[in-house]
Amino acid sequence: MSDLRRIFYSFVLLVMGIFFFISGYKSFRRKRLIEDTPTSKIRAIAMGLVEIYGVVVPYKGKILKSPLTNKDCVYYFFIIEEYRSSEKGGRWVTIKTGAKRVPFFLQDDTGKVLVDPEGAQVEVNRDYEFYSSTTKTPPQSIIQFMESSGIRYKSFLGLNRSLRFREYFIAPKDKLYILGTAGDNPYVEDGSVSQGYEDVMIQKGKKNSIYYISDKPEKDLIKNYKWRIVGGFVGGVLLILVGTSGILLGFNLF
Amino acid sequence: MGLGLEIIIVVGMLIVLVALIGYIVSIYNGLIRLKHNIKKSWANIEVLLKQRSDELPKLINSVKGYMKHERSTLAQLTKARTDFLKAKTMKQKAEADSMITNALKTIFAVAENYPRLRANENFIQLQQRISGLENELADRREFYNDSVNTYNIRIHSFPDMIIARMMKCKDEELFKVVESDKKDVEVKF
Repeated sequence: MSDLRRIFYSFVLLVMGIFFFISGYKSFRRKRLIEDTPTSKIRAIAMGLVEIYGVVVPYKGKILKSPLTNKDCVYYFFIIEEYRSSEKGGRWVTIKTGAKRVPFFLQDDTGKVLVDPEGAQVEVNRDYEFYSSTTKTPPQSIIQFMESSGIRYKSFLGLNRSLRFREYFIAPKDKLYILGTAGDNPYVEDGSVSQGYEDVMIQKGKKNSIYYISDKPEKDLIKNYKWRIVGGFVGGVLLILVGTSGILLGFNLF
Repeated sequence: MGLGLEIIIVVGMLIVLVALIGYIVSIYNGLIRLKHNIKKSWANIEVLLKQRSDELPKLINSVKGYMKHERSTLAQLTKARTDFLKAKTMKQKAEADSMITNALKTIFAVAENYPRLRANENFIQLQQRISGLENELADRREFYNDSVNTYNIRIHSFPDMIIARMMKCKDEELFKVVESDKKDVEVKF
């Protein structure tokens, strides 16, 4: 490997290391924030940053259909990728992706509150995955969606393309953890409600930039963040050191 | 020792230093946030206490015509309200709050003996409103105690306790319910 190439790759590793390190630190801060914020009962929500946990209930019949599986949901994200081989190996290339969200209620044993998921960082488990190949044709719902989107699932030879379909969604009755800002509910007139929490909507705050929705309970989230912190810091430090060493080696400083 | 190795050691030390500073800043900000959470959750309780206190004269006015034999309970409620309005510290407010909650429980339980009062629209609305506030208050008290608990644990845990001592953080008081409040209201027929 030439010195210039070594320096370039080492620099990439160094930048990646810094990125991992910063993301580890961000995860650490997020974990602390989740731990430090007690979960509010929906009935007693106060304005400002709140943490709530409850079940999804559709708002005024606002329901989406997930594009790949045609399931009722209030949020979906999908990604369609194609496997493209080359001399050096193969990789998945995104050919179509999309997401949509509508307001919904979150309900616990004390009441329900409107949630506007716009601007939220949504982390939910994958609900669907399918690989199509020459011998495996996608299900009808996917074929219909692809046809309506103008994407061919067959190659010019008439064989199925090697595609990967992934879908994530939030369906009614799903349990959600939300860390967001309780603000005024623009859908109700002031003074027209009997309970205070009916006039509240969970949304992205102006001051509190954090708006996070997950389908994991708080305990699992914290555990998950612990791994991200360890991965971020350990991976980051290693990459920084390896990257720095590579650069130094490139300049013959060892 | 080669120059390269020296640079690696310096980079390593820099990483440790940055991580350490970041960690200390996070602990400091975390403690500030927890303190702020307690203040905010207390303020949220006070809002409801005030709202409930504003409803009490209306309640007393609506029931006094019917509950002529319950003067002592009504007097107790009036006194508790006055105590709450005079209260300066959190402890005094918590005590007055307990007295009010107790008196309200008694009034609502005794109201069962007065069919005409139970049929009074104004009383029904007030009872619903005050019961709603009581439920919200119970949730917010729990939230306040959760905030205090998180803070108190944090300032005694290592390594946060080192920064907490530097910041002169002290244990915060929980919102305690008076023991008598935990007992069921006794209603004599």
